[in-house]
Amino acid sequence: MTDPGVLPAQVGTGRKFFMNHPVTADSHTLAAYRARGGYQALAKVLGTGISPTDVTKEVSASGLLGHGGAAFPAGRKWGVVKLTDGEPHYVCMNADEGEPGTFKDRWLLEQVPHMCLEGLILASYALMGRHAFIYIRGEFDLPWRRMRDAIEEAYAAGLLGERILGSDFSLDVVLYRGAGSYVCGEASAMLASLEGKKGWPRNRPPRLTVKGLYQKPTVVNNVETLANIPVIVGEGAEAFRTVGTAKSPGTQMISISGHIARPGVYEVEYGYSWEKFLYEDCGGIQGGRALKCVIPGGVSTKVLDPTQLAGRTLDHASALAAGSQLGSGGMIAVAEGTCMVRLARVIQRFYHHESCGQCTPCREGMGWMERILDRIVRGEGRPEDIDRLYHISAANDGTTICSLGDSAGYACSAILDHYRHEFEHYITHGRSMHDGALTVEDPFAESLARWHAAHPGALAPSLAAGAHA
Amino acid sequence: MSALAHLLPEFEGWKARYPAGFEGSLTIPCLQRIQEVHGWVSDAHIDALVDYLGVPRTQVDEVLGFYTMLRREPIGRHHLQVCHNVSCTLRGAEGLLAHLCLRLGVAPGETTPDGRFTLSTVECLASCGTAPMLMVNAAYHENLTPASVDALLEALP
Amino acid sequence: MSDRKTLDFFLNGVPAVAYAGETVIQAARRAGVDIPHFCWHPQLSVPGNCRICMVEVEQDDGEPWFDIGCNMPVTAGMRVLTESDTVRKLRRDTMQFITLNHPVDCGICNKSGECTLQDYHYEHNGRKSLSLDTKNHATKFYPLTDRILLDNERCIMCTRCVRFTHEVSQSKALAAVQRGDQALIRPAEGADFGADAYSDNVIDICPVGALLARKDLANARVWYTEATPSVCPGCARGCTVELWHRKADWKLTALDPALNQRLERVTPRDTPEVNGPWVCNKARDLAGIFERPRVTQATVAGHPVPVAEAVAIAAERLAGARAAVVLVSSWGSNEELAAFRAAFGGRLGATVRAWVKADHQPLPGEVVEDALLIVADKNPNRRGALAHVPAWDGTMPADADVVVVWGEGVPASALPAGPFVIRLGAYADPVNAADHAAADLVLPVSIQTERDGHYTNVDGVVSGFRGYRAPPPGVLHAEALFGAWAPVLAAPAAAGAGA
Repeated sequence: MTDPGVLPAQVGTGRKFFMNHPVTADSHTLAAYRARGGYQALAKVLGTGISPTDVTKEVSASGLLGHGGAAFPAGRKWGVVKLTDGEPHYVCMNADEGEPGTFKDRWLLEQVPHMCLEGLILASYALMGRHAFIYIRGEFDLPWRRMRDAIEEAYAAGLLGERILGSDFSLDVVLYRGAGSYVCGEASAMLASLEGKKGWPRNRPPRLTVKGLYQKPTVVNNVETLANIPVIVGEGAEAFRTVGTAKSPGTQMISISGHIARPGVYEVEYGYSWEKFLYEDCGGIQGGRALKCVIPGGVSTKVLDPTQLAGRTLDHASALAAGSQLGSGGMIAVAEGTCMVRLARVIQRFYHHESCGQCTPCREGMGWMERILDRIVRGEGRPEDIDRLYHISAANDGTTICSLGDSAGYACSAILDHYRHEFEHYITHGRSMHDGALTVEDPFAESLARWHAAHPGALAPSLAAGAHA
Repeated sequence: MSALAHLLPEFEGWKARYPAGFEGSLTIPCLQRIQEVHGWVSDAHIDALVDYLGVPRTQVDEVLGFYTMLRREPIGRHHLQVCHNVSCTLRGAEGLLAHLCLRLGVAPGETTPDGRFTLSTVECLASCGTAPMLMVNAAYHENLTPASVDALLEALP
Repeated sequence: MSDRKTLDFFLNGVPAVAYAGETVIQAARRAGVDIPHFCWHPQLSVPGNCRICMVEVEQDDGEPWFDIGCNMPVTAGMRVLTESDTVRKLRRDTMQFITLNHPVDCGICNKSGECTLQDYHYEHNGRKSLSLDTKNHATKFYPLTDRILLDNERCIMCTRCVRFTHEVSQSKALAAVQRGDQALIRPAEGADFGADAYSDNVIDICPVGALLARKDLANARVWYTEATPSVCPGCARGCTVELWHRKADWKLTALDPALNQRLERVTPRDTPEVNGPWVCNKARDLAGIFERPRVTQATVAGHPVPVAEAVAIAAERLAGARAAVVLVSSWGSNEELAAFRAAFGGRLGATVRAWVKADHQPLPGEVVEDALLIVADKNPNRRGALAHVPAWDGTMPADADVVVVWGEGVPASALPAGPFVIRLGAYADPVNAADHAAADLVLPVSIQTERDGHYTNVDGVVSGFRGYRAPPPGVLHAEALFGAWAPVLAAPAAAGAGA
């Protein structure tokens, strides 16, 4: 198992809120967090009688954008909750990190669980919650144990439970484990799952901040969003705004993977040079290859080629101007020589597998797209397939209950936009123009070769149709 | 006698941190615990859980069919789950899966005849920066190489 | 309704009015614009999963936005377009998705001809499938209950049936399990959908041919049949129904001509103040009541006689009776009851005592009473009959000299040996046949499917039914029978009494 204490090389990517201390065997504990000034923001709020509304005002003033992918202003989400409606209010930490390419929340949960928890406590205070929830994906074992231990430490230290730090504020936290479903990262599906049901998203209106968990007003925030709250409350919105850019204040945890020389989690101040990040901090592409494209913020965001990245910075406005989104900060680098057709097939297999089956365009469209891509990869593509993939993508755009179907469409159509010639080649010749290459340095190349020798003419087992088992 | 009698005290303890009226929420945690203890969820467990929580049977059926981690039948002693999403694929997941298929003599979805291993493919486990990776039961094994996978499998009972 | 707050908005450019809280689909419906929908049902919750009801909302500044009409509250001044080019395109795309894995086996599907998917295909798509790939396969003819089959390939996962069992019938027997394009409807493993007394409603609300009544399977194409409005006599709720039977111009000549008369199926007729759009399974099985063997021969002392003769003998007996008893049917129509009242007129309470009896009692295994529709009184018009005569306490006066039993429910064993027993009977099933054999005089009368009439239900709501077939030869309408008796009974009672 990977030693959780190993931090990737952190170079000069700007101001840091989370990666500003050495990671040691016990740096995730309450004692270590306290030694770094942890829970002082909570003590300040509860000790000086800062009102819940003032906390929300501070968060609004900070300009903090949600870190789950949509970059919705956190303060605005909190601000719509009516605190005087006599209803219970719930805050839920979305720790269901499942967007392919994204593993920054995992780092936060493993390394700074108390900071995430303090953020949740402060958010619950601001929203006058008596119960809060942490929905953590079921596959996360170490993050779950770390958070479970953090919660128990917090209860023991009077940071959770009745009359926190001697104040009138009481809060119980439920740590809830998912059971294997990407779509439960969508807030309404998550709440359905928290109610013990299958994770089907639901239509808005009503918004979750009006009718959420058990029909009560509920705010769902990403792990990283909440982990920012102690910084904002502790240092003040004004100080927070000095970090990052005017439109994207603060930092972004970026998890980078794929054909990159130094994969891992990096904390980057918004506005940092995208190219400098890729080529210097992350060491460029494996084996000194050229960069073919970057999936900037999880597979649900549109790929960007090197020309689109030129001069761009790592912040929401710049990513948008480049033609994509920063999304969840889950960046995947793809080297020249990679078969984008097979890559699209791998991406679409994921969306097909994770479609919840509720609304028509996604339920039917995801499988349809995968079957088309599968057929192309098997060498049985037809010229009209490309138009059909565009058509299905477009027909999922804005027509579904949640954004899973839209995302699949964005991912596929952006790859088609950039690499249509690869699809045409594959369809015309029945084979990949890159010989199906998906890796640059493959530790299992010899095993794969042996497998192919044993199964002449067959696709690798991972690409076999319906390879979900 | 309820098939869950031995777990009920634990379930009761969980209720304390939930707001009143949230009994239905325990459906998933209870099923997870049942599976952790018994390896899979049987009809008798479901009947007992429906009785205990007072949730409709349909809710339990839907949950069991929806979430990939919950099982209605037993599997091998060690569940090998290979992530074959984008980042892992770019780092050798195809070869890792091929390696396991060759070594174990099974295809994804199958269990070795000795009941020792069940091989599965899964989607992104947020281990992209340490790909290729393999989940063995609850534990992540990352940055795998043929040698490290072989050593790992040999060390498993 | 009138005191509800209203909002003005525009529907396809035309001013329209919505009640506050109404969704676009509801307000449009009242305005006569039917926005296509599969999953939305006026009586069920709004899942918004089929996506066919997408509408366009024009914006003052910037791009229009699109969302589903079933979940969109009307706001004041909103400008909704239901037939714009983009909306039509969205519908076409949605139809492509919905039919992607649908087998399109209309040729062998019972729903064909009244299938929303079929209708919408012609109205909103009209193209062949754009897919080149094989369709997903799923379970065919899954035995949901001993009454209902489920074809998962035809299912479009609208979840109406699931919601019906959770929100209306409360059996919570159906679930949507698995996910993605493998998602499918299944009964809960422990719950018995067969015990749901309202189960067959899911067949009606299924917008496609996924839920099928076993008894109707491959019975009759819907376009060969037509519906006659009727009232279910199964209990005093008097649910309004449609009785489906073969159209006159589609007669079967090669097969048994009786098939031309057969009651093919029963569906609910939506009447908000009675049953809404639902009926219980008893209504579905009305053929079991209406299609019992019939009495077609008038008899006196067990011997066949011409019906007119039997009518005259009965009239004479009644006119001459000193202490006649009439047990009035709670299955008689309001028209028949009025004719009865008119015929017996002044004799009621004098030489004739009349009481309302229960023709039917709950059957073994039948749901006696519930919170939704079913009421304990298993007779459709007891309330209508009680408007004329009081209820029978089950006893027979010792001095009774003539007893008229109109309808069913009073066996021969319950009658004293002395009086002259006249039965107005319709059915010759074994129980009734034995009772008729013991009667002194039997007059065959018509049944509900053979005449028009009205029933007054348990709440006092009057619902009408129409006949769709002629009574068998030799069978009288009770209304006509009472009409024939009227002049005889109108003569002074003493004239006969002295004889």
